[in-house]
Amino acid sequence: MDTTFTVEGPRVFFSIGPVTITETVIVTWIVMAIITITCIVLTRNMRVTNISKKQAIAEFLVETAEKFVRNNMGGGHRFDRMIPFVAALFSTSLISNLISLVGLRNPTADLSVEAAWAVVVFIMITAMKIKTNGLGGYLKGFTTPIVVMTPFNILSELATPVSMACRHFGNILSGIVIDGLIYWALGLANAALFGLIPGIVGKVLGELPILKIGLPAITGLYFDWFTGFMQAFIFCMLTVMYIYNASQAD
Amino acid sequence: MATEGLVSLDLWTFIATIINLFIQMWLLKKFLFKPVHKVLEERKKLADQQIEDAKAAKAEADSIRAEYEKNMANATAKAAQIVTDAQKQAQKRADQIVQQAEQQASSMKAEAAADIAQEKKKAVNEVKDQIGGLAMDIAGKVVEKEIDPNDHRKLIDEFIDKVGEAS
Repeated sequence: MDTTFTVEGPRVFFSIGPVTITETVIVTWIVMAIITITCIVLTRNMRVTNISKKQAIAEFLVETAEKFVRNNMGGGHRFDRMIPFVAALFSTSLISNLISLVGLRNPTADLSVEAAWAVVVFIMITAMKIKTNGLGGYLKGFTTPIVVMTPFNILSELATPVSMACRHFGNILSGIVIDGLIYWALGLANAALFGLIPGIVGKVLGELPILKIGLPAITGLYFDWFTGFMQAFIFCMLTVMYIYNASQAD
Repeated sequence: MATEGLVSLDLWTFIATIINLFIQMWLLKKFLFKPVHKVLEERKKLADQQIEDAKAAKAEADSIRAEYEKNMANATAKAAQIVTDAQKQAQKRADQIVQQAEQQASSMKAEAAADIAQEKKKAVNEVKDQIGGLAMDIAGKVVEKEIDPNDHRKLIDEFIDKVGEAS
């Protein structure tokens, strides 16, 4: 039994020149495939009346996404174009957070992923601000309330994507670390406990991960399920709120 | 197998993630939002259609009802008219019959009176003739001489008149 505990970054499967294909990218593809196949299955044989359970789920998902975006972005239809983006962000984030349940490494436990999402959102926020206030107004916004504040305003502006990315990444990574620690500790405890039985019986039982059954499922309820939902929700909530706030003139 | 740092930024993962996010957005649009919106739209259309149909049916029912009520009113008026006409006609007919009867009665009365007058006249004439004849006979017996009716016409008539007056 390994008595040291390590958490590794995403594996690099192969590189083509400077392009590296990591575990993160591969698992992201799997996540995308899951989401897309789910959508295709849910929206097959849709009917206008007498709908199936699948169709009810599909309609519920669409209506929930629309309600989420509209309720948090002023209530109107102005930001309806954001709905598929937010839905994509939420579904990818959620399934990426939960995919550790089937033993794959979360793509969201790679800072590159959250950084990419946060940068996209940051560009959208900035574009919205410039569209609302004009380029001059946007730049002038940094000098408020007084010119001396400019560096701090720039910092706080940049802090938005950084905090969004790091919050999501940190939560998921900590989930991985804690899950790994629990498994590792239970493995050690297992070996120690059944190692007390003398002879071959103790050796075999010590190698069987008996104690690993049960407890990780309960802790996983929080670290995988709850955190997974929460972080996906928070990321999307911040996205729509920041973009909506950016659309309101200062 | 090589691994990346636990907290690291990889440019290609970064780029791939951005592209993947937008691909995912497109996929969701195509495979979830579009079909669901289509169905919702169709359902809305169906509901609207049903409401329209219901409205049309109600309008039709209303117009039918109005027509029915109008017809009913007409029918009532017509019935009243018919009854009035019938009453009028009956009254007229009754009046006519009574009038006719009265006329007939009065004409019969007049006829009867005429008959009576004629009979009376006839009887008077007969009596006059008889009395004339008798008077002639008596006068003949008295004067023993045949009285020529032609010669004594004046005398006879005078006599008869006197008898008539006496009678």
